[in-house]
Amino acid sequence: MDYVIEMLHITKKFPGIIANDDITIQLKKGEIHALLGENGAGKSTLMSVLFGLYQPEEGTIKVKGREVKIKGPLDANALGIGMVHQHFKLVHNFTVLQNIVLGMETVEKGFLKMDDARKKVMELSRKYNLFIDPDALISDITVGMQQRVEILKMLYRDNEIMIFDEPTAVLTPQEIDELMQIMRNLTAEGKSILFITHKLNEIKAVADRCSVLRRGKYIGTVEVQDTTKDEMSEMMVGRKVNLTVDKSEAKPGDVVLEVENLSVDARQEGHTKKLVSSVSFQVRRGEIVCIAGIDGNGQTELVQAVTGLRGMSSGTVRINGEDVTKKNIRYRNTHGMSHIPEDRHKHGLVLDYNLAYNGVLQQYFGTEFQSHGFLKNDRIYEYAGKLISNFDIRSGEGAATITRSMSGGNQQKVIVAREILRPHDLLLAVQPTRGLDVGAIEYIHSELVKQRDNGSAILLVSLELDEVMNLSDRILVIFEGHIVAELNPKEVTVQELGLYMAGSKKEGKGNEV
Amino acid sequence: MKFKKKKNYVGVLSSVFAIFIGLMVGLVVLLLCNPSQALPGFATILSGAFTHGMRGVGQVFYYATPIILTGLSVGFAFKTGVFNIGTPGQFIMGGFGAVYVGIMWDQLGPVHWAAALLAAVVMGALWGLVPGVLKAYFNVNVVISCIMMNYIGMYLVNWVVRSYKPLFNTLRNESKNVAATAVIPKMGLDKVFPGSSVNGGIIIAILVVLLIYVILEKTIFGYELKAVGYNQDAGKYAGINEKRNVVLSMMIAGAIAGLAGGLLYLAGTGKHIEIKDVLASEGFTGISVALLGLSHPVGVLFAGLFIAYLTAGGFYLQLFEFSTEIIDIIVAVIIYFSAFALIVKTLLGKLKDKKAGKEGGNET
Amino acid sequence: MSVIYFIFQQTMLFTIPLMVVALGGMFSERSGVVNIALEGIMIMGAFTGILFLNLTGGKMQGQVQLLAAIIIAMVTGIVFSLTHAYAAINMKADQTISGTALNMFAPAFAIFVARVIQGVQQVQFINTFRIESVPVLGKIPFIGPLLFQNTYITTYLGIGILILSAVVLYKTRFGLRLRACGEHPHAADAAGINVYKMQYAGVAISGALAGLGGLIFVVPTSTNFNADVAGYGFLAIAVLIFGQWKPGRIFGASLFFGLMKTIAAAYSGIPFLASLGIPSYLYKMVPYIATMVVLMFTSRNSQAPRASGIPYDKGQR
Repeated sequence: MDYVIEMLHITKKFPGIIANDDITIQLKKGEIHALLGENGAGKSTLMSVLFGLYQPEEGTIKVKGREVKIKGPLDANALGIGMVHQHFKLVHNFTVLQNIVLGMETVEKGFLKMDDARKKVMELSRKYNLFIDPDALISDITVGMQQRVEILKMLYRDNEIMIFDEPTAVLTPQEIDELMQIMRNLTAEGKSILFITHKLNEIKAVADRCSVLRRGKYIGTVEVQDTTKDEMSEMMVGRKVNLTVDKSEAKPGDVVLEVENLSVDARQEGHTKKLVSSVSFQVRRGEIVCIAGIDGNGQTELVQAVTGLRGMSSGTVRINGEDVTKKNIRYRNTHGMSHIPEDRHKHGLVLDYNLAYNGVLQQYFGTEFQSHGFLKNDRIYEYAGKLISNFDIRSGEGAATITRSMSGGNQQKVIVAREILRPHDLLLAVQPTRGLDVGAIEYIHSELVKQRDNGSAILLVSLELDEVMNLSDRILVIFEGHIVAELNPKEVTVQELGLYMAGSKKEGKGNEV
Repeated sequence: MKFKKKKNYVGVLSSVFAIFIGLMVGLVVLLLCNPSQALPGFATILSGAFTHGMRGVGQVFYYATPIILTGLSVGFAFKTGVFNIGTPGQFIMGGFGAVYVGIMWDQLGPVHWAAALLAAVVMGALWGLVPGVLKAYFNVNVVISCIMMNYIGMYLVNWVVRSYKPLFNTLRNESKNVAATAVIPKMGLDKVFPGSSVNGGIIIAILVVLLIYVILEKTIFGYELKAVGYNQDAGKYAGINEKRNVVLSMMIAGAIAGLAGGLLYLAGTGKHIEIKDVLASEGFTGISVALLGLSHPVGVLFAGLFIAYLTAGGFYLQLFEFSTEIIDIIVAVIIYFSAFALIVKTLLGKLKDKKAGKEGGNET
Repeated sequence: MSVIYFIFQQTMLFTIPLMVVALGGMFSERSGVVNIALEGIMIMGAFTGILFLNLTGGKMQGQVQLLAAIIIAMVTGIVFSLTHAYAAINMKADQTISGTALNMFAPAFAIFVARVIQGVQQVQFINTFRIESVPVLGKIPFIGPLLFQNTYITTYLGIGILILSAVVLYKTRFGLRLRACGEHPHAADAAGINVYKMQYAGVAISGALAGLGGLIFVVPTSTNFNADVAGYGFLAIAVLIFGQWKPGRIFGASLFFGLMKTIAAAYSGIPFLASLGIPSYLYKMVPYIATMVVLMFTSRNSQAPRASGIPYDKGQR
């Protein structure tokens, strides 16, 4: 068999954990090979080993049948291996061309010589249909174009083996289709692709074979054509997965959240850009309303305006009928609003505080937890005990655990527990399951439904179409800061939803309820 | 509260490690300069403070007073997420406030010294307020604005002292003596440490240390300050007014450093504001004290005493014809290595790994 | 007319060292390492350089002696700055703390060593380096007196460093890579650039230039060195920010600061300013106040290198 890369019996240990346990991956020339696994399954570690960032304790790497030692990215590059990282490795204030040549510059008498590079880049760009503007600054171009720059970087280096790490997370469905086409073009030209993902649809669409990792272990490699999505997902998770959520019909009650003509402007380099334009909607007790959209279409700003984290340029926000537009965050927090924020490290937790102190982040000033300005530590720890036992939070030292040392899933549980347990009428949940494994996702989903049934109004923001379809009672599609459609998840297909999210399909105006 | 102990254990060890290296470097420097005198000289650094018994101890307290407070100022600000390198400016402004009231308002009688200290606190707070406001409302880097405020404060004080006749001692090119009523009372310490310069200032300093400790660890105000310090965004999310917090914490930090200046210039030990274009060294020493004391109020107290102790011992070095700058060298090396908390952590980690075999730990 | 010449010549004496040190800071920050230790490095450079002048006084031809001292100052700066690089790059230490330690160390060390060597802390030297008038060029009307009279070789060296810095930063492979490291070290690493090496280079250049700046600040303005460069290292940081991390603007900012310093130092000799009766302290304060005001308006969209001050850790991606 003609393998371009073989990673044989790779074992990589870290203190206390075996990140890769006897993993074998073989990549054929000219194939698209998917690497499937949940967060924490060991995909990143394996790729770091391939790029020489980590040295494995056991195992060998062969490139084109020859055993090699890879000590760093330079070695990998010399062997023709390149990678498009999940977070692009582009310098924001460099031009496209500068980013492509960085590290491979041509020099003449000590000075940079860009002309030859420009010619080569433009040729490659034409050959593979990768349209770019070589003189544009990275900060000025779209995410899709940035990804093309990353691909051109690999082509410029004559890489034969290309690794794509979760490349579709930031793309619109149209851009995803385009990327798939580009990947096929690349393999047609003899390149080999390793495609890291956890999205089964994409594997089905483009991959030839698929290797599955689970908790650091190698599960197996299958031919994609002969394997169903269910089978692959079972391999990935280790049991039958039922991501459809059991829930009864929603019984919407009073209006809790009312958003009217909300707009958010941002000033960028002199001109004003509307991030959210004139959005209106309501969320009632006992329903889950989901804002669906591709990342970067204004959902973050919309929620931040509702919560008060960011100012709005116009519009009104009412909670339980009261106008809170001019009220601060503290007021909203204490008048019915709970908020599971998008970024648990940035907003959700004070990572250097322990679990107990994080548990009272919006309540420490209440009479339950303080008297005359002094903290009642006994009460705070008691309360943390309640969070821990009610929500099965695992941590090394219980309430005294510094949250930084906890796993991502348990950190998220702390936030979810805190926001659910404190009195609220409205629960804003922004990507509450991001980066979590299936077990934690299932748990958080069922908690959200439980809250709905207990009479909370829930506004969910999600980028995952499956989550949107399974969880919501109503879907609002946001595109470029506008709500372009209101849909009933029972009546709409995923494909249709995707079209709305991409802005290629729109409803007439005046569809808010 | 159990977790605290564990965390500080690493911190304290790294401080001890840094102190050890600093002293070793000092020893090496002494050896290089004059091998025959090096060992007695080194012994003097370590024990010189006790040369004159209780008087020596009193001197240690006297030296420690201002640097405990400037250290507390830096440490407190650090806990709340800002690096207050502006202590030299706040210190001299505070000193100026105290000297001004101490000279001009001489009809206040028994509360004169307290009023002068209050002026010191207010001036220091004002000088801390500016970088705080600039940070909160204009997003100006605190380190940079503090450096600017240091120089502005120094020049401003020199200018005013020099050009305002009642304050200026032309002969000696420094500020005049403050009124006797403005001198900090001894509070009985002169009986305990006869012949030393120590005064009630050290008691005031220790009280302020305790006050800051209580504020930081026991109150909701401290909870808010630290939450914003650790993570400004999370503080905002929690509904804490993070701008107000930055302003308040810089103000408090400035007030503490200002108080340090007041206590020094009201000590009645012949210390005057000299008209020199040099930043107040007590302010910079405060940074060392804070770093060595891990920014914890109690740690700062001990670090301040430790550095004062070395300084006191350093004086006697001149007997061996070494200059006292060796102490500054040692302290600088200590600070340098205390920034290396990583080494200690890895060393500890390795030890732990060996002990615990391959279990435990939570890294991926 | 002579007043203008005088002011300009004096301004250059303040401007050039300030600019050189700020350019040094620029290289360090552009590589991703904040170097608050510029003051300390200046002191070290000035110390060894002046010590050399002191020891070789009268034994060498003036300009040769000065050039040798410059090389010594630069080497000292490099060596000293490497301790900061080690802390910041290898140990991932807090860069402000490490820089503060260096700033404390330098004057203590300079005084201590001076005392050991010669008993007193001031290091004397004889200034034989002033160029009355550059041959030929000094005779050009207007430009001659302005640029080529009463000057030091260091002025031209400084201008050369400015041009070289701009070229290196924007036109060479090294500059491109250095800037990449300061903005997005992970991107640079992924492109096969050794980030640690580039950061070492950036810090070392800042050390060389700060060491040089220390020497050329002291030489024209004094006849002895007392372990002090009058806060010029900190002022250089202000210049760096004022100049938004760009060579041309750094030059402009240094000119402004240099002019203010000149006025503060010599306003009584300038009839127009003396008649205004503004105390010299005000002129001394103006650069710092101006920096604060500028910071107020520029900090919202600062051009600071994005990764500056953040220890680069390969593992974190």
